[in-house]
Amino acid sequence: MRRSSPLLRLIAMLVYAFLYIPLCIVVVFSFNDSKLNAEWVGFTLYWYQTLWNDHEMLLAVRNSLFIACCASLSATILGTMAGLAIHRYRLKVLPILAFTPLAMPEILLGVSLLLFYLQVLNLTLGLISIILAHTTFCIGFVAIIVRARLQGMDESIFEAARDLGATPWQAFYHVTLPLIKPAIIAGALMSFTLSIDDFVITFFTKGIGEPILPIQIYTMIKVAVTPEINAISTLLMLLTLTLITLANRFGSSMLRDPSH
Amino acid sequence: MLGLLIRYLALVLAAWLSGCSGMDSMTSDKTDTRILQLFNWNNYIAPETIQHFEKTCNCQVKQDYFSDNEEMLAKLAAGATGYDLIVPTGNALHTLIQQQALSPLDKTQLPNLKNIESAYLNTRFDPANQFSVPYAYTLTLLGYNRNKIQELGLPTNTWALIFEPEYLQKIKHRVTVLDSPRELMAAALLYLGYSANDQDETHWNQAKALIIRAKPYWAAFSNTSYIRELAIGDLWVVQGYSNDLFQAALDAHKTGRSFAIDYTIPKQGAVMSLDSMVIHRSGQHPDLAHQFINFMMDGKNSAELTNLIGSGNPNRAATPFIRPELTRHPVIFPDPSTLSHLEMLTDLNHKQRRTLSRIWTEIKLR
Amino acid sequence: MQLSNRLIKWLISGPPLVFLLIFFVAPSLIMIVTSFRLPGEFGGLVPLNIFAERSGIDSGLTLETYQFFLSDWIYLEIFLKSFVIATLTTIICIAMAYPLALLIANSPRKFRNLMIMLVVLPFASNFLIRVYAWMIILGPESTLSHVINHILGVLDFEPITLLFSPFAVLIGMVYVHLPFMILPLYTNLEKHDPILLDAAQDLGANRWQRFWSVTWPLSLPGIFSGSALVFIPVLGMFAIPDILGGTGDIMIGNLIKDQFLGTRDWPFGSTLSIMLTIAVLGVTVFFTWLARSVMRSP
Repeated sequence: MRRSSPLLRLIAMLVYAFLYIPLCIVVVFSFNDSKLNAEWVGFTLYWYQTLWNDHEMLLAVRNSLFIACCASLSATILGTMAGLAIHRYRLKVLPILAFTPLAMPEILLGVSLLLFYLQVLNLTLGLISIILAHTTFCIGFVAIIVRARLQGMDESIFEAARDLGATPWQAFYHVTLPLIKPAIIAGALMSFTLSIDDFVITFFTKGIGEPILPIQIYTMIKVAVTPEINAISTLLMLLTLTLITLANRFGSSMLRDPSH
Repeated sequence: MLGLLIRYLALVLAAWLSGCSGMDSMTSDKTDTRILQLFNWNNYIAPETIQHFEKTCNCQVKQDYFSDNEEMLAKLAAGATGYDLIVPTGNALHTLIQQQALSPLDKTQLPNLKNIESAYLNTRFDPANQFSVPYAYTLTLLGYNRNKIQELGLPTNTWALIFEPEYLQKIKHRVTVLDSPRELMAAALLYLGYSANDQDETHWNQAKALIIRAKPYWAAFSNTSYIRELAIGDLWVVQGYSNDLFQAALDAHKTGRSFAIDYTIPKQGAVMSLDSMVIHRSGQHPDLAHQFINFMMDGKNSAELTNLIGSGNPNRAATPFIRPELTRHPVIFPDPSTLSHLEMLTDLNHKQRRTLSRIWTEIKLR
Repeated sequence: MQLSNRLIKWLISGPPLVFLLIFFVAPSLIMIVTSFRLPGEFGGLVPLNIFAERSGIDSGLTLETYQFFLSDWIYLEIFLKSFVIATLTTIICIAMAYPLALLIANSPRKFRNLMIMLVVLPFASNFLIRVYAWMIILGPESTLSHVINHILGVLDFEPITLLFSPFAVLIGMVYVHLPFMILPLYTNLEKHDPILLDAAQDLGANRWQRFWSVTWPLSLPGIFSGSALVFIPVLGMFAIPDILGGTGDIMIGNLIKDQFLGTRDWPFGSTLSIMLTIAVLGVTVFFTWLARSVMRSP
């Protein structure tokens, strides 16, 4: 750890402010007693009450959280593998396959996946089809970040571990994994936010009768923005915060066991 | 790391299951009931209407939403199935019929069809109403901030308001038009004295020139955000849909704005979008769908939608149940002479669509 | 040993390879074929029947769509415009993300995860609602607009509108993509060995010299991967120009979306997407080459 200069701190704080000012508006206006949210009128919990009674919306929140969790998990695992493989073996095909989905407009990915599901795989659309679709475009994000972490890293530690008699798995688990852990966490977080926000691909790959949050919000906004959406956003952030904190806490207590 | 993963998984599962148990308490006793699957615009049916129908049919209504006809068409074109009932607009209805995606209606199951005003039946999209029954309609209009426009002394009954620089310079950057090539071109064509459905390319180019001349004065192309921006006073004139403008006017009134929002049908005419109920071929419950269509043609049920969003109502029997301030409104219930000024947009063929898209790209870029 | 190494290679690269072959390559092939077909008379259906025999004389395959694309400068102009916006967004993102990522990487270990989470947290709320929040901030009657126009008035300038302008689009783009720059940069900066900086300090380098000669060159992989994660998604973005942009803010993403959800011209949409993908890959190859040559000559 090094001490940072005050100037750096100031700039960083400004960037945080840039990230959080719109968010403050979202949160504050979820308590605003005005449908239009043009100015502060008065405090109310009405929008949360509306939300609480909106079972369809709550179901959508649950579905979306579930999709985001599963998609980020599978994308993180596959993306980490891809990143490792690309870095270690100088592959030709895998990098193209992993990074091209980033360059594909999502609408193309959505329509082509739908065609593929229905006309080739004959798959019934549902949560699974959305999770698979989200995983596809998240892999590249994770792979890029993992590879960037590995670049310039000393591969000899891994070799040394192998020479000392560690199995490939042991060498991976005790040497490589701790090294790339920040990249894996960052990749998982990115995948999560990408998945929970995606409208276009979700619209095309979703099955019937399952409300999904971005679709509910997007079609609702077409009619009128109500502070109920602010309320959902606020709750979603709280939920995410709790989820990450819990996973972090349990995870770190579990992690201590093998190292001690 | 492994531990973290396992814990994370367990957490997700737990969250999922707890959610399930909570939700199940609401739906568990309905597992063997039939489900009517709607593919509809969001907020395009009153919640109490759905509850009412669920009680009468002893079934469950589920909705999937789309925010644009084209989204719905694209999803169906790729092969999505399972929707019983869809609510498309006129030209999308035409497309669905041509694609043979719909199943014909059994009129013996629809006694309430007699309630529908004859002016809204037998449209060119579905000449004998073989596949569709009118649901509601919206008009594409001029909406404006009444106080501001009076103060500036501008006319409100003509499309010139959004096309003529002499008016536009007083309301520069306070105007939006719809982000839809068909709707905007229709307004321009009407202003030039042509039909909204004119397909002559030279006329299209005249309309393009008109739009490009007016464009520097507009703030944006907007399909949705104009509702709020108009209601809070950031925008003064918009080209918009009648139910959205109704919403804006209501919002401005309810939040006690110092101004009022009003909307008119320009004298050159306007576009009418008639939404219909149709039964998709892939639906599981055509009988339920018929029951629903008939239910929605009941005067009271039909009126609930109009009362909710201020859409036009093609149902004669609904009038007594609609709030009087709505029935008096000449835009929501146009008289026969106005009705003759309204046009429904027809579909274009693929060459024309490509040409129009090219024109639209140029409009946006210049 | 030799065998097991090969086995490991396949164990690591196999699953993502297979997954992507199924869920990315196969669907993409469908769309590549689509770009050579004609749009159906009533929308997307006809070109979709790839697997059914097309009745009639012609094969249904055509180069017409590509000719249509190439015969017109206007589409190239939109490509260029989108690349300019994407480049600007990337540069601004680097400038904003670098200090923050550096600060997080230099913080005590126990705070790092928290600080990173604070970066990501706003993005758990809905995308559209965040963009709408910017509409409120930039609107013509907002405090910010009044302050800026007041200052401009004092300086005797014309008042400006913030919302519905290229400026608003740029702000929206930066806001939405900033975490994709911060995260890779942070994961890169976090692994830097402080010993190098100490060594530089011992050699008498001041703060700036240490930064330019040690931290900056080492962080280039992070910058490159972050740039890829910002630059490429910006090109395909359509919602932000739609909501925050003015009458002239059209990007390639809007054009492509319009082909699928407006004009019902799937072949042209596919053609545009393929062109975009090729352009992006071209830029990526160029930058990879650049990155290699930069990193080889320290």
